[in-house]
Amino acid sequence: MIRLMLTTALAALPFAASAQEITVGAANMAPYLDPGRDHSNVGSQFYYNSFDTLIDRDHTKLEPEWTPALATSWELIEPKVMELKLREGVTFHNGDPMTADDVVFSLNRMFQATFPPYVVRAKDRLGNFTGAEKVDDTTIRIHAEREEPLWETLISLQQIMIIPEAYTKALTGDPDVAEDSDFEAFALAPVGTGPYAIESFQPGEKLVWTRFDDFWGDKAPLEKVNVVQIAETASRVTALKTGEADIITNLAPDQLSLVESDPNLKTEGSATALFHVMIMNQNHPKLQDPRIRQAMSLAIDRDALNEALWAGKAVVPSSHTMVEMGALHQPDLVTFEYDPERAKQLLDEAGYDGFEITYDTAPTYYTNGLLAAQAIMEMWAAVGINGKVQVQDQWSGNDPEMMARNWSNPMYFADPFGSFGVMWAPGGPSQSEGRFNTDEDYAEKWERFRFSTDVETRKEAYAELMEEVKEDPAVLPLYRPFESWGMKTSVNWAPLPGHIPYVLDFRAGSISLADS
Amino acid sequence: MIAYLARVLVRSVVTLFAIVSVTFIATRLSGNPIDTFLGEGLTTEGREELIRYFQLDRTLWEQYLAFLRGVVSGEFGLSFVDRRPVTQVVAERLWPSGQLLLCAVALTIAVSIPLGVLGAIFRKSWIGSAVMTVAFAGYAVPSFILAILMILTFSYWLNWLPVVGNATPLHYIMPTIAMSGVLVAALTRFTRNAMLDVLGQDFIRTARAKGLSEARVVLRHGLGNAGVTVISVIGLQIAGLAAAGSVVVETIFSWPGIGQLLVTSAITRDYPVLQFGVIAVAVAVVAINALTDIAYALADPRIRLARS
Repeated sequence: MIRLMLTTALAALPFAASAQEITVGAANMAPYLDPGRDHSNVGSQFYYNSFDTLIDRDHTKLEPEWTPALATSWELIEPKVMELKLREGVTFHNGDPMTADDVVFSLNRMFQATFPPYVVRAKDRLGNFTGAEKVDDTTIRIHAEREEPLWETLISLQQIMIIPEAYTKALTGDPDVAEDSDFEAFALAPVGTGPYAIESFQPGEKLVWTRFDDFWGDKAPLEKVNVVQIAETASRVTALKTGEADIITNLAPDQLSLVESDPNLKTEGSATALFHVMIMNQNHPKLQDPRIRQAMSLAIDRDALNEALWAGKAVVPSSHTMVEMGALHQPDLVTFEYDPERAKQLLDEAGYDGFEITYDTAPTYYTNGLLAAQAIMEMWAAVGINGKVQVQDQWSGNDPEMMARNWSNPMYFADPFGSFGVMWAPGGPSQSEGRFNTDEDYAEKWERFRFSTDVETRKEAYAELMEEVKEDPAVLPLYRPFESWGMKTSVNWAPLPGHIPYVLDFRAGSISLADS
Repeated sequence: MIAYLARVLVRSVVTLFAIVSVTFIATRLSGNPIDTFLGEGLTTEGREELIRYFQLDRTLWEQYLAFLRGVVSGEFGLSFVDRRPVTQVVAERLWPSGQLLLCAVALTIAVSIPLGVLGAIFRKSWIGSAVMTVAFAGYAVPSFILAILMILTFSYWLNWLPVVGNATPLHYIMPTIAMSGVLVAALTRFTRNAMLDVLGQDFIRTARAKGLSEARVVLRHGLGNAGVTVISVIGLQIAGLAAAGSVVVETIFSWPGIGQLLVTSAITRDYPVLQFGVIAVAVAVVAINALTDIAYALADPRIRLARS
C-alpha cells in the first residue's frame, strides 16, 4: 500500500520529464555566467548552448574546420585587419535584434577592456587585438597589432561571444555607459543569441534552458533543460538511477562499472583536452640545478599512473601537445620520458645528498591528484629521491618555498598557444609567480612560435621551446584525465572532439532522445 | 520579567559583536581569496589589478572598520564570486535550512518525548529496554551513514524517494530523518532520565494519593516538571544543528541550504558571504538560546524569580 501511494505520488512529480525535457545533474554549477570573464572548467560547460561567436567550427571534427556563425564570411583585407560580414536577422533572447554595434561592443569589452576581470582574461590570449569598428550595418573590422596567424581560432573563443549592448548597459546606473556593475549584473542575467535561452539561473544551484524559437540556425532539439547541482557523487549516481537526472557529469573512474551494470544506463567519456601536470620550482635554492628537476621528471612512470589510476583510459603525452591542435600537434617530439636509470645518474652527477623534496597537492581538487602524488613519491624513492607529499588546500604555486606540486594546463583553444602558451609565455603566470625563468633566447623562440604566419616555422619554434623545457624543466604533463558522463540509454549524447573541455553541447545534431 | 528579558537581550548583542569580530579575523587568516576563486593562470599584474578591484589592498584595520560600518548600516557587501548582495545570497539559503531544521525538530519532539515517557514508565519491562536500545543505536549512527543507507534502500534499490533538492514533500522525508537521528536518540534518553528523576519525587506520591488518574500524574505533574530539562536539551541540540549539523545532510541531498553555502564560501574564501553567513547562523543560535532561556522562565517560575 505504501509502495502504491509513493509510486503514485512520484508519477505526479515534475521530474518525470516529458520527451523533450531533460535534467542534468552537474557536480558543479557556475556561480555566475559571463563567457567573457570566465575560463573555468565549470563555466565552460554552459556557454555554448546560449551564446554564439562570430566564427564557429565543426565540433564533430578534431581538425579545425571553420564554419560561419554570427559572421557569414570573413577575409583579411590588410595583413592586420580582418573584415567580417554579419549575419542578418539574428535576435537576442530578450528580443533585441543583433546589430553591428552589439558585435563591436562585445569584442571591445575584451579588446579594450576596462572591467578588471575582463582585463586579466583578455591579456593572456587576446592581447594582439587592438579593437573592433563598425563599417556599416552588416560589416565590422577587427584590428590586430601584429600579423596574426590564429585569426579564426581566436575569433571563435568563448571570451568574445556576442552579447547585447543596450541591454547590458541598461542593467545598472547610466543606461548609456558600460559600468563595471553592468558586467557584474550581466553575469547573473545573461542574454545571448544561442539556441537555448537562459530562463532562470540560480548561482551555484540551478540553471534552466528553454528552446529559443527565434534562433537563427537549426532549432534546439530539446524544449527544456534543467541543470541542477548535485555535489555528492553517490547522490549523482542515485539521481541517475531514480530518474531524477537524465545525464550526470563528472563520473569518477571507479564508478563507471556501477553505472554500466544497469541496462537502462550508459556512460560516455573522453580524454579531456587538459593536462594534469607536475610543476617544479626552477628558483628554489635546492632545485636550481636542472639535473635534479630532470631526475624528478624522468623518475615518474606515467604509463603506470595511467594504468593504476585511470584504467589505462587517460592519455600520456610525449610532449606538451594534444591531437586537437591539428597541424601544430607534434607527437613525434619526445620531451618527457620515463628513464629511472638516467634519473639516478643525473642525481649522482648533481651531487644530490638526499634532501627532502616536497610535493604539494590539495586533498580533492584534481581527480586522483592525491593518489598520483603518493605514487610519484614511491617512484621517486625508487631512484633515491626523498620525496614527501604535503596536503594543503592553499595554492602554493606563488610560494618561493614550493618545490613541486600538481596543477593543470587546460586547452583554452585548439593551438599550443591555447595550452602551453597561456601558462608558460614569457611574463605569463608561471614566470610572474617566480617559479619559471625565461631569457631573451626563450622569448625569441616564443615570438616565432606565437606570431609566425608559416605553420612549419611555428612548429620548429615550438619544438625548440620544448627542447628548452626538457633541458631546464619546470613542468611535466602527467596525463590527460579521462572524464566521464553517465546517462540513460535513451539519451544520445557524447562529448564532441572539437570542443574545449567539459562543454555540454545540446545544439541540433549534438543530442537526441530515443522514444521510450 | 522585563529586567530578565533586557538581560537576555544585552548578553545576545555582546555575543554577536564578539562573533562578528572573530569571524572577520578568522576568515582573513585562512588564506587569500584571489588564489581560490579566480582560477589558474593569473599574472602578477593581473592579480594586483583584481586585488585592487575587490578592495583587498586596504589594510586589515581599514577593512575591519568598513565592515563594522557596513554591519551597523545593514550593508554587508557583495559576494566576491557572484557579485550579488550577500544578504540576498544568504537569505535564499536560510529558509530551506530553516524548513529542514523545523521538520527535524518536530519529528524529534513527536517521537522522542513519547518514547522517553514510555521508557520511564515501563523501565522494568521489555518496552523500556527496547526504547533504550533504539536510543543507543541511534546515538551511535552518524547522520551521513543513516543518509547513505536510506538513499541506498529507498532510492537506489526501491526507487521510492527522490534524492535531489527540496521540490516536493517527498524530498523532505530522508533528510528530515537523517537530521533527526542523533537528536531523537539524545532526547529520548534525556526525557526518560528526567522523567525517572521526577517520578520518584514525593509530590508524585502525593498526587497519586489525591486520587488523580495515572495519565494526569504522569503527564501533568511528571512531564510538566521534567520539562525544564527537556527544553534545555532541545535548545542546545537545535542550536548545535543550526550551527553546523546540517552541512553533511544538505550536501548529500543537494539541499539548497546554508550549510553547503558556508562550506563552499569557506573553500573559495568568499569573505563577504562567509562573514554574513556565519553572522546569520550566529544570530539564529543566539536567538534560539534566548528563546530557550525565556522558555525556562515560563516553565519554571523559580528561574525568573531567582534571576531578577
